[in-house]
Amino acid sequence: MKTSKAYKIVIVAVLVLIAVYFMFPLFWMVMTAFKTEAEAQSYPPAFFPQVWRFFNFLDAWTAQDFNQYLWNTILVTVLTTLGQLISCSLVAYGFARFEFKGKTALFMILLSTMMIPWDVTMIPLYMEFKLLGWINSLKALIIPAFFGSAYYIFLLRQFLMGIPKDLEEAARIDGANQFQIYYKIFVPIMKPALFLVAILNVLTVWNDYLGPLIFLQDRSKFTLALGLAAFKGVHSTQIIPIMCITTLMIIPPIILFIIAQKYIIEGTSGAIK
Amino acid sequence: MKKSKIFMSLLLSMMLLLTACGSQTTKTPAKEEQTAKPAEKQTEKTEEPKKEEPKKEEPKKETQTGTAKVKIRFASWDDSESLTEQQKLVDQFNQSQDAIEVVMEAYGDNYDTKIAAGMGSKDAPDVMYMWNYPAYYKGLENLNPFIEKEGANYKNNFYETLWEYNSMNGEVYGIPVGYTTHVLYYNKDLFDKAGVAYPTDDWSWEDLKAAAKKVKEGNEGVAGFSFSRKPDPYDFEMYLWSNGAAYSNEKGELNGSINDEKSMAVFKMFQDMEKEGIAITTEGGGTNEVLGGKVAMYINGAWSIGRFNEAGLNYGMVKIPGFGKPSVSILSSSGLSMSKDSANKDAAWEFIKFWTGKEMNKARLSYELPVLKDVVAEEKVTADPGKKVFFDMLEQSAGYTPSFFKIENWSEISESLELAFEEMYNESSLRAPEEAINDIISMFP
Amino acid sequence: MNRKYTPYLFISPWVIGFLAFTMGPLLLSLGMSFFDWSITGTPEFIGAGNYIKMFTKDPQFYKSLAITIRFALIFVPLNMVVALILAMLITQPIKGVKIFRTIFYVPAVVSGVAISIIWGWLLDSNYGIINYLLSLLGIQGPKWLVDPKWAIFAIIFASAWGVGTMMLIFYTAIKSIPPSLYEAAALDGAGPIRQFFFITIPMITPTILFNLITSLIGALQQLTLVLLLTNGGPLRSTYFYGMYVYNNAFKHHKLGYASANAWIMFVVILLLTALVFRSSSAWVFYEAEKKGGKKA
Repeated sequence: MKTSKAYKIVIVAVLVLIAVYFMFPLFWMVMTAFKTEAEAQSYPPAFFPQVWRFFNFLDAWTAQDFNQYLWNTILVTVLTTLGQLISCSLVAYGFARFEFKGKTALFMILLSTMMIPWDVTMIPLYMEFKLLGWINSLKALIIPAFFGSAYYIFLLRQFLMGIPKDLEEAARIDGANQFQIYYKIFVPIMKPALFLVAILNVLTVWNDYLGPLIFLQDRSKFTLALGLAAFKGVHSTQIIPIMCITTLMIIPPIILFIIAQKYIIEGTSGAIK
Repeated sequence: MKKSKIFMSLLLSMMLLLTACGSQTTKTPAKEEQTAKPAEKQTEKTEEPKKEEPKKEEPKKETQTGTAKVKIRFASWDDSESLTEQQKLVDQFNQSQDAIEVVMEAYGDNYDTKIAAGMGSKDAPDVMYMWNYPAYYKGLENLNPFIEKEGANYKNNFYETLWEYNSMNGEVYGIPVGYTTHVLYYNKDLFDKAGVAYPTDDWSWEDLKAAAKKVKEGNEGVAGFSFSRKPDPYDFEMYLWSNGAAYSNEKGELNGSINDEKSMAVFKMFQDMEKEGIAITTEGGGTNEVLGGKVAMYINGAWSIGRFNEAGLNYGMVKIPGFGKPSVSILSSSGLSMSKDSANKDAAWEFIKFWTGKEMNKARLSYELPVLKDVVAEEKVTADPGKKVFFDMLEQSAGYTPSFFKIENWSEISESLELAFEEMYNESSLRAPEEAINDIISMFP
Repeated sequence: MNRKYTPYLFISPWVIGFLAFTMGPLLLSLGMSFFDWSITGTPEFIGAGNYIKMFTKDPQFYKSLAITIRFALIFVPLNMVVALILAMLITQPIKGVKIFRTIFYVPAVVSGVAISIIWGWLLDSNYGIINYLLSLLGIQGPKWLVDPKWAIFAIIFASAWGVGTMMLIFYTAIKSIPPSLYEAAALDGAGPIRQFFFITIPMITPTILFNLITSLIGALQQLTLVLLLTNGGPLRSTYFYGMYVYNNAFKHHKLGYASANAWIMFVVILLLTALVFRSSSAWVFYEAEKKGGKKA
């Protein structure tokens, strides 16, 4: 595709404008992280801190046991992502590439599980997890992920529905069974979508706040998001530590994204003829 | 290479899932338990987590020696700043005896969600911070029997007014831990710059208005006084009290009290201050604005002291202005309650006693106003003018019961009141107080 | 392996998970909606009482429902168009596009607590940064979080900031369109705009369906942002349905009532989704169904 110079300039201008909208609040967050509280509240607002207080970050990190929180969060993130990838790809494959009795009904039930407000199922779920002994344990956050989540199943199913039918027919003629077809043919094709699911799940779990709040108790089990929220008390909010921890917290998902976006692009070109 | 690795792991896990879904669920947790709970197991097996948290090792060691300790869950609502301090005090308790181990849980400003979920699931913490007794008292243990066992002097050592705020229907459900009354904060620098004399304890609202006007004139872009755009109805009742009124009568009926002439005068006065430009309204309580030097005076509890000191604000505190007679303040009190469903009530009581006792009152002096008379006397707390003002307000606020305790469906009324207040004080609506309050009366006849 | 059972084996993880973790709580919450339960007390059976109260005696129910639907009507299409435009922009063969891709995505990474504080600062009407910048240009900025007329835009503004997730989903879909299709179209003389409408859009209809449904659900359940940024205000102009349910459950401790609220919303969403799905056979194009496959 040939593109003219003027066209390119227009596109870049638009991109820059939107980038400002997206980056400005972030810029403000990072700048605030270096300020004192009085500076952060001053008016007219100061764009840059008078002194760059790098110690703010250290203070915030050591105010609570964030090393432990980081470890817990990594554990939950990695294991749930693994669980979601395995289960969701299987289930989505089942829904997308087969005809079977009750498929439409089951799929509607699957979709409907996304629509339940958590406020009212939370207490019954809490009771169930308590019976299972999962309260105050990361299990409550991790294990359900191994049974898939409607959002990712739906996403992968849509992706799989976009792949022509003749693909597996050829393989079936070659004598491959369904699981061989799944992992030899479809998993590679799904790679970009699986990376997408991984990115989305990491992001969700990394920042998930309600799940940990309800199911965890000891501070030694806390996740980063819960530690971050602990800077917000009933009567006062410690703004500077919140900005510091948030700034630090967004770094790993961003790095992951930068790495993963390569696979999202690469994966497909050429996979489907 | 990478590709095939992903495949292998996918394949493996898939097999696991398909062949034995049942055993799969037990396998992952087992693995996870080892890594996720290193602190509790204190075994040398797991290496990575140990690296992550060297601090954790020490306090856990003594659990080795004791036989099964009774574990008490203790929930706090404070933000992390005071939590660090609190954790030290909890550790102190744990080391002081070998029968009970207290584990602190902290939920910040989502404390209520967590406690409600816990109570709904009959799994509330054994010991918890509490102020909202009307909402939770049915899930709490009546502490009267425990208090009686301690003897009469035990109860008398607490300031009497505090018991009012920790009881429901005459039964005590919480032992006072801390409290705050409200006071008038003012920014000395802004007063100096405008050449206005500082507020005094005997100020009336007229004095405040006059000073606010002058301070505003003497400082560009600064407001003289601020109050919240949607004041918390619980707090706001103190202004009605100060003017000899209240939201409700003894039976908890609104009509005839909240729409009384004296009540209406208060609602109106605040709106007029806003209309006349004497005051601005703020999104939150106003602490941020005062801290940023944008507002010269506001009324708040002791919560802002820490932040003001840290920021080096040059401020002072005096009693709330009155309506021709001494003003009254609402109390925001915190108590320590016990869950009705607790399996270890005696152990829980031991900890409550420790936490509300003399030693702990002293240990918390730097960030909490003590509630024990002997501690106040021994530590000469009222010699500090920054603390005295809160005790003075406490003294002149005895004998008032918030409607919060008197009205059955307070949480609903409170929500409607909050809307009514916002309608009166939001600059984009500024609804007439008569109309807004009449709506309340017709909604809750 | 019996072929008849193969599809069920594939979907079995989800079926088991549903039976174990979802169905029970779901049915319990339905049962709860027929009780008066104040969390601390014992539940008391009141039949359809909660539903009757909701429909006949609680004006806030209708108000919150109306506000939420209005929000969804503005937000869902807006968000989808913006996400699609961004996704198209970041597929352009331009130097540095990778950086923009990351920039557009990053806000989606920031947790709600910090977002709400920052947007609160930006949008504060007296001391906010946006209004400060406007005042430098001589413009008197609107009272974002004070004036009910503006508050909903403030919410839309702040939630549109997290459009990165949807953009990424569109982007993945666009990237998986075989380049050969574009090459063939270019040979036929189709310009970029024709290519967009006749290749890109039809090829990503499955993803459009996905984003439509999930963002519809998300918009109708929006809670976190209003809870943190406006707390339902000003003057209850952003008192969304999610907040209404949340407050009934955790502020007023009326768990039975909140369950009834939640179930009504559940039915509303279900009906809307069913409607969208039914219509989808007319506009969603699945490669897998091209050869004799039945419509889903």
